[in-house]
Amino acid sequence: MSIYINGTGCVSPQQTTQGGPLLAALKEYEQVRLAVVDPDYKQWIDVKQIRRMSRVVKMGVAAANLSLEAAGLTAPDAIITGTAYGCLDDTGVFLKKMVEQQEEMLTPTAFIQSTHNTVAGQIALLLQCHGYNNTFVNRGFSFENALLDAMMILDEGGADNILVGGMDEITNYSHQILSRFGIYKKAPVKTMELLNSPDSGTIAGEGAAFMTLSKTKGSLCTTELKGVSTLYKPLWEGEVIGHIVQFLEAHNCTPEDIDLLVTGRNGNIDQDEIYEEVAEALFPEHPEACFKHLCGEYPTAAAFGAWMSNALIAEQRVPDAVMFYGHPPEKINKILLYNHHEGTHHSFVLLTYAE
Amino acid sequence: MTDLKAQIIEQLNLQEVTPESIGDDQPLFSKEGLGLDSIDALELIVLLKQHYNISITNPEEGPKIFQSVRTMAEYITANQTVKA
Repeated sequence: MSIYINGTGCVSPQQTTQGGPLLAALKEYEQVRLAVVDPDYKQWIDVKQIRRMSRVVKMGVAAANLSLEAAGLTAPDAIITGTAYGCLDDTGVFLKKMVEQQEEMLTPTAFIQSTHNTVAGQIALLLQCHGYNNTFVNRGFSFENALLDAMMILDEGGADNILVGGMDEITNYSHQILSRFGIYKKAPVKTMELLNSPDSGTIAGEGAAFMTLSKTKGSLCTTELKGVSTLYKPLWEGEVIGHIVQFLEAHNCTPEDIDLLVTGRNGNIDQDEIYEEVAEALFPEHPEACFKHLCGEYPTAAAFGAWMSNALIAEQRVPDAVMFYGHPPEKINKILLYNHHEGTHHSFVLLTYAE
Repeated sequence: MTDLKAQIIEQLNLQEVTPESIGDDQPLFSKEGLGLDSIDALELIVLLKQHYNISITNPEEGPKIFQSVRTMAEYITANQTVKA
C-alpha cells in the first residue's frame, strides 16, 4: 500500500507559512527559547472565533489549513493530531484563576479550551468535518502515533484523505518548570552554532506541522510515506541500530539505499551522542541534515522534521542551513528521519520520492 | 456604560471592538449585534459577580438582562441600589 503526502503546512520559529523555497529567509536566533513566527491568523479564522483561541490552537488551525490548501482539499475525512503538552496556555490561565479566585467564579473559556484535543476539535468545527477525530497524547511519540493511526485507517479503507499533525506550545510557566530540570542551556546560544555546542542542554521550541495523507497521489505530491516506527527506552545504541536495520528491511531497503539521514540533534552533547553512534555504525558516509536548530526542542518536533524532510524531497535540494555532515546528495530518493526526545522516545520515519 | 463596555470587551477578549463601537441598545446576542454565544453568556455572568458582586438567581431573567449594554447597566444599577 502506498501512502502519499499530498500537502503540508507548518507554523514554526522559521518563516514557514509564506510558501517559497525551504528556508529562503532563514531566521537565526541567539536565545534559549524559540517562539513561532505568527502569521496573520485572520486569513483562516474568523475574528469572533480567534478571540478564544490560544496560540497553539491558532498554530494548529493555520498549519492544518495550509496543508489542506496545498493538497487542494476543503475538508479531510479524518483529523488526527498528536500533542504532548496540549493547550498549556489555557491550562495555566485556568489553574491560576482557580488559585486566585479560591476555586469560585471560574470563567468557562479557559477550561473548555484547555483540553489536549482542542486543536483537533477546533479544526473540525471550522471545516465542519464530522469524521473521525482523535488526539494522541504520548509525550515524545504523540505525533508518531497520530501518523501510525492515520496509516492504519488508510490501510483499512476507513478514509480517503486524512489530516494528521503534531503541535506543542511553550509558555512562561512551562519554560520555567522545564528549565528547572536542566533541559535547556544556561546561556543564550546562536541557533546556527547550536548543533556543535560543547555542553549539555538544548533550546526550547514550539510549532505545529500538518500533512494531508491519502492513498491517491495528488497532482503536486512528491513524497510517499513508507513507514513509521517507534522504540521506547532502548538500553543501548545497539538496540537502536538493530531496530533501524529491521525497520528498513521491512520496507525492502538497507542503510545504503538512504540518500539523506535527517536527525533530531539538538545541541545537547549528552543526547546527541546516540545520533553519532548510529550514524557511525550504519551511515558512515551518508550526508546528514538536522532540524532542531531551526525549531527548537519539543516533544512533537518530529512533525517539523517530517515537514522539512518532505520539502527536501519536493525541492530535491538541501539548504546549507540544514546540512550537518557531508555534501547534499544529487538525487534525494529516500530519507530516513531519526529523532529521539529526551533519550527515551526514539522514532523513525521513512520517506521516499513519489514517482 | 463606557466602563461596562470596556469590561465586556476585556472579559470576552473581543478583538477589533472598542467601547465606542458598541451601541448602548445594540443587541449582544444576535448576528446584527455583537453576535455573542452561550459561552459568552457564562462569561458575562462571571463578570457581574466579579465586578459588581451580583448573582443572577433566576436563569430565566438572563435573556432580558443581557439584551444590550443598557439592559445590563440597568440591572446592575437596580441590584446595587437594592443592596445599598
